[in-house]
Amino acid sequence: MGLSSYILRRLFYGLILMLGVVVLNFFLIHAAPGDAAEVIAGEMGGTTEEMMAQIRAHYGLDQPLLWQLWLYLKQVAVLDLGTSYHFNRPVTELIAQRIWPTVLLAMSAQLVAMLIGVVMGVLASRKPQGAFSGFVSVFSTVGYAAPVFWTGLMLVILFAATIPIFPVEGMVSARFRGSGLAYALNVAHHLVLPATTLGILFLAQYARLSRTAMIEVLGADYIRTARAKGLGEGKVTFRHALRNAVLPILTVAGLQFGNLISGALLVETVFNWPGMGRLAFDSVLRRDYPTLLGVLFCASAVVVIANLVTDLSYRFADPRIRTGGR
Amino acid sequence: MTDTPAPRIEAVSPLREAWQQFLRNKPAVAGLVLLVAIVAFVLYGRYFVDADPYRIVWAPLSAPGANEAVPLGTDFLGRDMLVLLLKGGAPTIAVGLSAALLTVIIGISVGALAGYFGGWIDDLLMRFTEFFQVLPALLFAMVLVTLFAPSLVTISFAIGIVSWPATARLTRAEFLRIRELEYVTAARSIGAGNQRIIWKVILPNALPPLIVSAALTVGVAILFEAGLSFLGLGDPNTISWGLMIGQNRSFLLEAWWPVAIPGMAIFLTVFAVSLVGDGLNDAFNPKLRSR
Amino acid sequence: MNPLMSLQDLRVEFDTRHGRVTALSGVSLDVMPGETLGIVGESGCGKSITALAMMGLIPNPPGHLTEGTITFDGEDITRAPARRMRQLRGGEIAMIFQEPMTSLNPVFTVGDQIAESILLHQDISRAEADKQVVELLETVGIPEPAARARTYPHQLSGGMRQRVMIAMAISCRPKLLIADEPTTALDVTVQAQIFDLMRDIQQKFGVAIVLITHDMGAIAEMTDRVAVMYAGRVIEQGLSDQILDDPLHPYTRGLIGCIPVLGRAAASADRLPPLAEIPGVVPPLHLLGKGCAFADRCALADDRCRADRPLLSAAGHGHPVACHHAGVPA
Repeated sequence: MGLSSYILRRLFYGLILMLGVVVLNFFLIHAAPGDAAEVIAGEMGGTTEEMMAQIRAHYGLDQPLLWQLWLYLKQVAVLDLGTSYHFNRPVTELIAQRIWPTVLLAMSAQLVAMLIGVVMGVLASRKPQGAFSGFVSVFSTVGYAAPVFWTGLMLVILFAATIPIFPVEGMVSARFRGSGLAYALNVAHHLVLPATTLGILFLAQYARLSRTAMIEVLGADYIRTARAKGLGEGKVTFRHALRNAVLPILTVAGLQFGNLISGALLVETVFNWPGMGRLAFDSVLRRDYPTLLGVLFCASAVVVIANLVTDLSYRFADPRIRTGGR
Repeated sequence: MTDTPAPRIEAVSPLREAWQQFLRNKPAVAGLVLLVAIVAFVLYGRYFVDADPYRIVWAPLSAPGANEAVPLGTDFLGRDMLVLLLKGGAPTIAVGLSAALLTVIIGISVGALAGYFGGWIDDLLMRFTEFFQVLPALLFAMVLVTLFAPSLVTISFAIGIVSWPATARLTRAEFLRIRELEYVTAARSIGAGNQRIIWKVILPNALPPLIVSAALTVGVAILFEAGLSFLGLGDPNTISWGLMIGQNRSFLLEAWWPVAIPGMAIFLTVFAVSLVGDGLNDAFNPKLRSR
Repeated sequence: MNPLMSLQDLRVEFDTRHGRVTALSGVSLDVMPGETLGIVGESGCGKSITALAMMGLIPNPPGHLTEGTITFDGEDITRAPARRMRQLRGGEIAMIFQEPMTSLNPVFTVGDQIAESILLHQDISRAEADKQVVELLETVGIPEPAARARTYPHQLSGGMRQRVMIAMAISCRPKLLIADEPTTALDVTVQAQIFDLMRDIQQKFGVAIVLITHDMGAIAEMTDRVAVMYAGRVIEQGLSDQILDDPLHPYTRGLIGCIPVLGRAAASADRLPPLAEIPGVVPPLHLLGKGCAFADRCALADDRCRADRPLLSAAGHGHPVACHHAGVPA
């Protein structure tokens, strides 16, 4: 199978998954206790009878259920995710503003966690009984057990008062008016703590996973072959072993994106990071369902796209899949 | 070549052997002791410190140790942190356990059916599982809890509904592996039906990794409950560790303890559960023992 | 003539759960230039550890080379620095392994893996190396070598992969080729092809071969001399013909009884001679006592065997053997 037809197939599959999310959203609105129009308007939207009538007409709420689903699908197809009655703006517009901060936060945390985690795992695997290996095991259990929002809050205490070198709130300084590189640096400065908080959680998992994967790969017959060729330990570890250990790491990375977004949601709340998580949190407080469901839809889309990218990189990394073998 | 064990003719059931192995694992035993201590604290603490957690006992945000009446200090309303900590553990652990149970039930059912029957049933169920893995779990749980009003039951259900895919995949993989083994063929050849083979023949043999994953799922569910309560989506009628953190976080820079202490409690609980889970994993995997 | 590779009184110990056990003890072997030496024995007898010791690849930890010397081409390499050993490995001493299915790295093309070895030991350009790769693949009898060089291991059959391993091993014209059960994982017909290839290679390049096997048939077919190992010791050695015709150690006799008659017998089952069998298994190394390690499985064993370990000695026999009852018919 060629690469382009593979991508097309995966894209099509991704669209089906997204269609599933839309249908799920629709049924969630209708399964919730109370009138669907009320659900859509939100309990704190300050709705009038006139608005309710408008909603009923717009969503065809007096029509049969399947017809309503059809109407809903048609709307989503043109990226109309409804209107936030709290913000009094289209949901799509709200999310468009908030999606990039979340993607930035999640991706930087993921990248840093993967890079450092893999390095830690590789170093630990060279002496599986050594002190550093033990440290990696303990660290990964600790990092996994600490609630991510609590880690964040502890970092806030540390960096707000004791060592005030990193900002603990927001994405850019309040009075910042620069642009270009200065803006990027300002954002990066604000990104340090949220990305670290989220990163620690995943760093723990990647370190443990790469340690296990490397120990397993280092016991493989082809590693013995590489040594028998006269290769040094550096090349054996990084060229022959890591290249294979990366495969299970990529698989797990692909399964992590949903959790990554979930974690980002909590971290955004702690650091007041203006992303989708913060938006979801605000819409929960205001019972702003169109926004909340819109965030669910878009966050799922981010996961679908991230999974597609992972699949492609996996295909690139493993010739057995690329060439259609076992 | 050097790992041939001494010949011993002594009937030791696999579970018993795993348990003996577990007891030899120091971190795992430490985790178990810690876990028992935490559960005992949460269950029986009220016999020693019995008080109304909502009662205001001292000045708000008193530091721990500032007054011996409130050894862990007070929260932003002046309530006793120790009493809150005692009362806040039960919902967290109860939701953790029931959500994990639900996760395991859904996960094992879906995974067992997919792995055992294969073919289109497998395809269908695995697409369904992938669909649930695309939804960011916490966000989906937030949506469910918001739509259906938060209570301990809805929260447990929400967590269970969003967490099962991992268990399902694991169960499926185990079933795919075991269904090809000779004793399954043997069971089929003596006329055992599908039901019997799934639940009586394959499942018991797939249990070790599932027990490990169930233990770890409890940890995940506790973290989940804590996250939801932190966001204010917990049961409004109960105190929980996550809620304590959420309520006190605005005063974080004035008082660290109302945030740090319940967080530490969550951390220790999940840490203990993970140590036990890892210990079980090692105990069930004889191959790893010599490492 | 001086031996190419010589092991003197080698002792290798491993740390295990049961404490430190001796994997090799008092092993002395010589490999002459251009000859084929067989090392034969059941699993766990120490033959693979001997091969790894020759390569300087005893895993440490848990392994320790505690006594003895290893000499290669007149050079003492027992405690040679890692850098020198890496030059020798793949350059002068090459090895092929039992599992061709898993001995090649699945994420690199076979051409890359052979070229890697060439570039490591020879100062030539990548293009030059690629040319050599194609020639090597042709030498080991792989059709369409240029195209095969660009394939991944999983796209080749087991026999093809073992040919690739051989190509890799001979890429730098080694003086010594160690083959650890090279055909065990392969079909019988492919086995014969691989042995033919190894003989061709030996004639062409004059390489000495150490063939490690549990199969007396392979010994008969391939080797000039043979060493029989049991529980970490050499218990009988000599010319292959001598040992096959006149085995002295009861264990060696047992092994020879285990040769299925290749070729003609496989077709008609009724003419198959009954397979002899050595009862029991090699004892775990941590349970070895002070007597003869084979005593528990030996029909001739008496109290002396259980109390006093026989030493390897040629006295009174045609070739060295370690048995109190050497040559006594069972």
